[in-house]
Amino acid sequence: MFRHTMLFLGYELGNVRRNPVWPLFGILQPVLYLLLFAPLLTTTTKGGTLIEALQMFTPGTMMMIALFGSMFAGFTMINETRNGVLERLAVSQAWRPAIILGRVIKDMLVLVLQALLVMGVAVLMGLRLSLATVLLMLLLMAATGLFAASVSYGLALAVRDEGGMSQIVQFFALPLTLLAGMLLPVSLGPAWMQTAAKFNPLYYSVEAGRSLFAGRLSDGTIPVAFGLFIVLGTLALVWSVRSLRKLAG
Amino acid sequence: MIIEAHGLRKTFTAKRGRGKAEKVEAVRGVDLSVAEGEIFAALGPNGAGKTTTVRMLATFTTPTAGTARVAGYDVVKEAAKVRERIGYVSQAGGVDENAPGLESLLLAARLAGHSRRQALTRADELLAAFSLTEIAGRPVKTLSGGQKRRFALAIGLVNRPPLIFLDEPTTGLDPQNRANLWDEVRALRDQGTSVLLTTHYLDEADALCDRLVIIDNGMVVAEGTAEELKKEVAGDVVTLKLDDLASAQKLLAAQPYIKEVQEEGDTLRAYLDDGEHNLPALLRALEVGGLAIRSISLERATLDDVFLRHTGRSLRDAA
Repeated sequence: MFRHTMLFLGYELGNVRRNPVWPLFGILQPVLYLLLFAPLLTTTTKGGTLIEALQMFTPGTMMMIALFGSMFAGFTMINETRNGVLERLAVSQAWRPAIILGRVIKDMLVLVLQALLVMGVAVLMGLRLSLATVLLMLLLMAATGLFAASVSYGLALAVRDEGGMSQIVQFFALPLTLLAGMLLPVSLGPAWMQTAAKFNPLYYSVEAGRSLFAGRLSDGTIPVAFGLFIVLGTLALVWSVRSLRKLAG
Repeated sequence: MIIEAHGLRKTFTAKRGRGKAEKVEAVRGVDLSVAEGEIFAALGPNGAGKTTTVRMLATFTTPTAGTARVAGYDVVKEAAKVRERIGYVSQAGGVDENAPGLESLLLAARLAGHSRRQALTRADELLAAFSLTEIAGRPVKTLSGGQKRRFALAIGLVNRPPLIFLDEPTTGLDPQNRANLWDEVRALRDQGTSVLLTTHYLDEADALCDRLVIIDNGMVVAEGTAEELKKEVAGDVVTLKLDDLASAQKLLAAQPYIKEVQEEGDTLRAYLDDGEHNLPALLRALEVGGLAIRSISLERATLDDVFLRHTGRSLRDAA
């Protein structure tokens, strides 16, 4: 079982290595946000400095790649439901969960690399981060990616239509982004918005990310986010593996 | 018998709008038996249930009813054992388009239990056998249809299965590639691999297969060797166009040398043995009967005539 997961992971990473351009495109958006949007936020912080703005804003942009990058991961699988790849794997000796698991772990690893690059840009802009912050942030990204990618594969197998899937992802992406406080903290908003945000899992990862970047490593938001995403990620993974079975009709 | 299936059925539930579900009976009681080392074909028009039948035998789809044993194991209860012993090449091929074919081949070999080194050896063997060595490192999307099909076949054979399923293996191939693939399938049989293939090409079933079933509307309508099936109809067929079909049909059916007359659109097909010698008598009979012929031809009976006899329509029109 573990062996098959590693085999699929190795295969998927081979594909990433052969086309490393796409993950790089993925970080363009957060990097542009850091360069062209973070400076506008200096007026919203207490001290009015770019460093403070980056501390508040960088975790949000990173969760953007976790959300957008991973939610679109399933698109490749829609094609695989038609070109016979999944059909062939389903009747091979492969352990079925490994088909999804290998891909999800690949997405998590790509996400960790992208996160590292975005943090590197923030550091170049003047932000200072401790090693513990960097490592915990990478783990948090991986946990968020586990959830988002598993949902995406589950959705791909359930919908099996690029048009429908992109509509669904688009429909949810903007409210999830805004209500997670990715651009500006929800705490700046009215009470109803803060209540609504509590029902958005991404809100917890953004909050935990802000605590990490502010150096408050013992903040309660951090274990809450990890716990939440490990549970949700596992549930989403089970759902997507089960959706594989529906392929056969 | 490497495949033994009894009363296989599959009913799909298709959603039609809100809350409404429609039952689609794709396969309605198929019996099959395939002997070890033979090339066996399921011939039928598109939508006859061939693919669903193969998918049930290959453990992809669970039958609604019926049982099947493949390579000695039950396809539902012992699916894992069946999967170790089969190769399956779907109509779509199932080769990752974005990666080099070699990568797909190596992954399949390792999933089948080979070590890294064994996988490389096995891949080399298969690449050589299917003349793919030169193009093994190219992304599959840059390859021709025939090359993709050969990769699909190589991947299906990676675990040296005693039985391989080929779903419409030559659809979309040009005549040259098609002939090559036939040779490859024959070579498989010569090495002792049993082959179950589906096709809607009459000549393919006729030329390539040791035995076949004709499937229509989810049921087997005829089974045997191509020779046996054609012999049941007749050796030859005379195709006639004339104005008064009904009288001509009556007249021809009364001739002692005519075995059967089928009406198909605006033509009549009269089945008879030893057509070359009986044709003059047939022409005379029509002349005596005062029936004017617009056109006439004499051909060997084909599997299409078998299909026509069992289903009342031509395979060409059935799709």
